[in-house]
Amino acid sequence: MRRARGRWPDTMEMIRELRLKREFKKVFNIRLLRGFLSIVMFVVLWQLVVFIKVPYLENLPYPKDVAVGATEAAGSRTYWFGWGISLSRIFAGFIIAQIIGIPLGLAMGISKAFKDYTFPVFEMLRPVPPIAWIPLAILFWPTRELSIYFLVFIGAFFIIVINVIQGVSNISVSLKWAASSLGARPKDIFWKVLVPGSLPSIITGMTVGMGVTWNVLIAAEMIAGQGGLGRMTWEAYTNNNIPFIVVGMISIGVAGYLCSTLVRWLGEKAMPWKKRF
Amino acid sequence: MSNRNGEGILSKGDFGEVRLEGVTKVYAKADQSQRVLDECTFRVQRGKLTVLMGPSACGKTVLINLIAGYERPTSGRIFIDESPVTGPGHDRLVVFQETALFPWMTVYSNVVFGCQVRGVGRVETKDRAEHILKKVGLFEFRDKYPSQLSGGMQRRAELARAMINDPKIMILDEPFRGLDAMTRQLMQEFYVGLFEEIGRTNLFVTHEIDEAIFLADRVIVFTFQPGKVKAEIDIDLPRPREFHMLASPRFMEIREQVIELLYEEASKAFAAGSKAAYDLMGAIVARKGACEKCE
Repeated sequence: MRRARGRWPDTMEMIRELRLKREFKKVFNIRLLRGFLSIVMFVVLWQLVVFIKVPYLENLPYPKDVAVGATEAAGSRTYWFGWGISLSRIFAGFIIAQIIGIPLGLAMGISKAFKDYTFPVFEMLRPVPPIAWIPLAILFWPTRELSIYFLVFIGAFFIIVINVIQGVSNISVSLKWAASSLGARPKDIFWKVLVPGSLPSIITGMTVGMGVTWNVLIAAEMIAGQGGLGRMTWEAYTNNNIPFIVVGMISIGVAGYLCSTLVRWLGEKAMPWKKRF
Repeated sequence: MSNRNGEGILSKGDFGEVRLEGVTKVYAKADQSQRVLDECTFRVQRGKLTVLMGPSACGKTVLINLIAGYERPTSGRIFIDESPVTGPGHDRLVVFQETALFPWMTVYSNVVFGCQVRGVGRVETKDRAEHILKKVGLFEFRDKYPSQLSGGMQRRAELARAMINDPKIMILDEPFRGLDAMTRQLMQEFYVGLFEEIGRTNLFVTHEIDEAIFLADRVIVFTFQPGKVKAEIDIDLPRPREFHMLASPRFMEIREQVIELLYEEASKAFAAGSKAAYDLMGAIVARKGACEKCE
């Protein structure tokens, strides 16, 4: 008994050590190293392309120039202001699209009659690329800002609606039957079966929609916007500040990635049952 | 045999009876109609375990849907005690072929679902849920999600979810389908023990002969297309049922009798299957010929 107790801390020590090793492996594994190498190789290739002056690409700035531009940008207020403007446009349009789109999709998924009345018009408008709405949006809305919100909204709206409809219709009928056999009223079935059951599709719709909204936003800002990352990139072009064009592009990429990550994180929080073990 | 703690959580005695009178179900499509059930008249006796048996595709699942109230018969009537079935209700509970646990809820939330939607008090809900979860041996797993459970555990969770509402009638549609042989046997044993302990009117659907006889007080054999009652056999094996009975002479005798009855229907089903295959072959050959003519 005593011996066993004496050994106990050793065992704990071993477990702790193993766990540390596992954590270490998680962070510094071979795949991460390869990923890092891939970025390094890309930068080296870029440097090489500029250095040997590949035809048509001779205007490309050196990676170093872009890095200098980026540090300059990071120190300037207007640059971060641009981030703020773009992000707020994205979230305004995106959130309004969810607020209108999710209930609409649920209604269309649940009621055949409602779907019959609304879906044909919806399907007529859906294939129109969001960018094609730019002229009308500028004409319709009193301010440029509102028309940009509207375009972002269009970018996310059709995608979320179509995904929610699909999500509702994919819920197996036996789940609804089981719920009603257990005494659930239509209200319970809606909140406890249909809504959580279509959540995976809602998250998918949000993830895809978030990607599209960034496409739309940048186009809208370049054409119609005042301020924002897209506008800044365009202004760098008109000012012939080529390193800053690249800084703008990279910023847009990072911003889009951060937004998608946020949506994915929300999805994981909202659907704990999807976690893998 | 079992602990009787929590007596009163599952009531004893208030069991229902199902009566079918000339139930017919016809599915009509544009150009043809198919008679799935034809003039089914039988009883599911109070407090007994009745097993419905028949070859695949004989309308067993349709019959379940009718009794559960998900669908309406084309003609004929179904009564629970003296009241006709007009829709789904929590007096009848259905355990489905494929698991119908809500994947987004933990085992515990699944089990208390019935209490929550019926507005049962918080304390009573918790007591009932814990009692039933212990009974089915899932108390330790109450915070897991269904996808984290094995097949057998999922079925037990489903039984628990059904039992919490204290239904008058439990309807099980091939609930052990898809389980491996060993788990299936254990589940049968578990289920029969549960039935013997808490009683209740049970309607159990299967196409497995041994399963049917092992579980049942009465076996109802169905014909193949359209489904109607071919025979009703009382199983007089003593309770509690134990697995060694599967080898007893009486079991064999009954088995013989059921096989006799089922063989004819099963071979009809088989013939229908092969006829379908034959028709398909014919169609393929005909189309090939047509194509050759085209050229």
